[in-house]
Amino acid sequence: MNTMAPPEMRDLARRLLTYEDLAGKTSESKEAAILRVYEKLRRSLGEFVGVAGFQSLASRALALARPEAPSLGAARVTEDGYLQGLGETENQFDLENDRAGEGGTILIARLLGLLRTFLGEALTLSLLRNAWPGEAFDDRNSAHGRKA
Amino acid sequence: MSNQDKVKINKLPTGVPGLDEIMGGGLPEFSFNIVAGAPGSGKTTLAHQFVFANATPERPALYFTVLGESAIKMLRYQQQYTFFDPAKLPEAIRFINLSQVVLEKDLGAVLEQITDEVEKTNPAVVVVDSFRTMVRKPQSDMELQSFIQRLALFLASWQATTFLIGEYAEDELRDNPIFTVADGLFWLRQTPERNSIVRKLQIIKLRGQDSVPGLHTFRITDAGVQAFSRTFGLTGHLKDPPSHRRLCFGIPELDKMLGGGVREGDSVLVAGSSGTGKSVLATQFIAEGIRQGEPGIVAVFEERPQAYAERATSLGLDLETPQKEGKLTILYLRPLDLSVDETMHSILDAVQKIGAKRLVIDSLAGFEMALSPGFRADFRESLYRMIFALTGIGVTILSTVEVDESFTEFPFSTYSISFLTDDIIRLRYVSIDGQLRKIMVVIKMRGGNHAKDIREYEITSKGVVILGRRLTNYQGLISGIPTYSDRSDSTEEPSLDTGIEHKT
Repeated sequence: MNTMAPPEMRDLARRLLTYEDLAGKTSESKEAAILRVYEKLRRSLGEFVGVAGFQSLASRALALARPEAPSLGAARVTEDGYLQGLGETENQFDLENDRAGEGGTILIARLLGLLRTFLGEALTLSLLRNAWPGEAFDDRNSAHGRKA
Repeated sequence: MSNQDKVKINKLPTGVPGLDEIMGGGLPEFSFNIVAGAPGSGKTTLAHQFVFANATPERPALYFTVLGESAIKMLRYQQQYTFFDPAKLPEAIRFINLSQVVLEKDLGAVLEQITDEVEKTNPAVVVVDSFRTMVRKPQSDMELQSFIQRLALFLASWQATTFLIGEYAEDELRDNPIFTVADGLFWLRQTPERNSIVRKLQIIKLRGQDSVPGLHTFRITDAGVQAFSRTFGLTGHLKDPPSHRRLCFGIPELDKMLGGGVREGDSVLVAGSSGTGKSVLATQFIAEGIRQGEPGIVAVFEERPQAYAERATSLGLDLETPQKEGKLTILYLRPLDLSVDETMHSILDAVQKIGAKRLVIDSLAGFEMALSPGFRADFRESLYRMIFALTGIGVTILSTVEVDESFTEFPFSTYSISFLTDDIIRLRYVSIDGQLRKIMVVIKMRGGNHAKDIREYEITSKGVVILGRRLTNYQGLISGIPTYSDRSDSTEEPSLDTGIEHKT
């Protein structure tokens, strides 16, 4: 079992976060972009795997992400699949260490990694294209390798 | 009403090789169909093949999943099949999970969600997998009937062709209202037969068009479900009726005994005990055909194609080159759970691919062994269907069969199948002058006269070679233990070709 989210999945997650960051308002927090990416994935995946299906995947992703990102300590996935508690932690030290919002990136990367594990790259990218119709995903510069 | 006035029902490709032929061309457009069977029978795979064959971004497919196999696992497994095209997801094929509404609400809400999605998407194909779990919650018969009726009406009105998938038992056929409403009912079964598993498909009901009745075997491979019609199917194959040509073995004396060769489209049986040269004769028949420009197929069951070709090389017959040139196919059919329909399908494919005129089945015993036990019981009937179908399109079949050598009988075959054959050539051992020698006789030729001679032959490096003249100095040759009867003083020496009318 990988103890770190795969680099190509981190790149893909960052790309989605950048896309949502640019699409949002400049005054928005980093968490807002993370939540928007998560929400798009929840809606898109929830349609075909169902609420319970998405909730299971997201919980697993969170469990995998936590050891890498202590700032996710207070985050939880609700029964409906929503993400709560992002950016909240009892340990201020963890939060300060995560100023770059890496915790959210790792969570998204883990979720994308699970999709790739179960469905393969082609289907994962198809699903992302559906959720982000304006964004061009292709095998070479996203999931498989780093962006050129 | 004249044919011009009748509405034309379009037929959609099922995406399942062989099934369109069974259904007379495809699935009726806008029909409301049930795919029923036990878990593992191939229902979901069949539905996926239909979906991938028909869905387009303009007229997509909606695939509703309910409680059973999770969509994520379904896609994980289904994408292993070659028909699965990930580029079709999600524009042309959309998966929608209905678990929550099914669990938390009533059938009215389920119908409402399906209605919403269909109105939004305008799909050409709708699949509900599994419909059985969707209606499992306790409800009155009227509620259920009303739901099914409204669903069927709605989906047909929206011009969708529908598949409802369900794990139904056959005793539900009488009472479950779903079977009354359905236009098409496909039942998939898999049954163990000793150590083999046989899959069979039955189209119990198909409104609006004919289908081939009966149980059709099918197989699930990397390519998904593949069905094998019990007959040629309803879409037909190109007919190439046999002419009155004679096909030679390339063994001059034998061809003479056969009145110039076997008639095109005949079924020839070469019977003899082990080592009498049945396979050698069969190989010479195929090789001569190729020499004459007649492509051939050899279906082998007891040895691999490479070994078969190498043995031919030892007889001076080159089977490698014609294989490379597409004039010969050596089919190796060894699995022990084949059906005759599947074998026939493989042979027919090969016949059509290379335009084969000659077919060798070497041997019937090997063929029978390759079948699953249940099909062995019907071997004679199945063989009849296969021979009838293949000779009907002008293929000349030579089958070899091993018979137990007996010194009190002269059997032609252990299968009582001589009625299936037009021509029979019998090979056997005889004890003469302290040697075990071989004799050959043409027992039967349905289409004409043949020599009555019993001829001695040898198997040499050139194959079967018929020796000298007929054996006139022995009585009781076919018993295998003849007695010497010197007729050297006899002035009467009947012609070797007595009874033959040359019609070459």
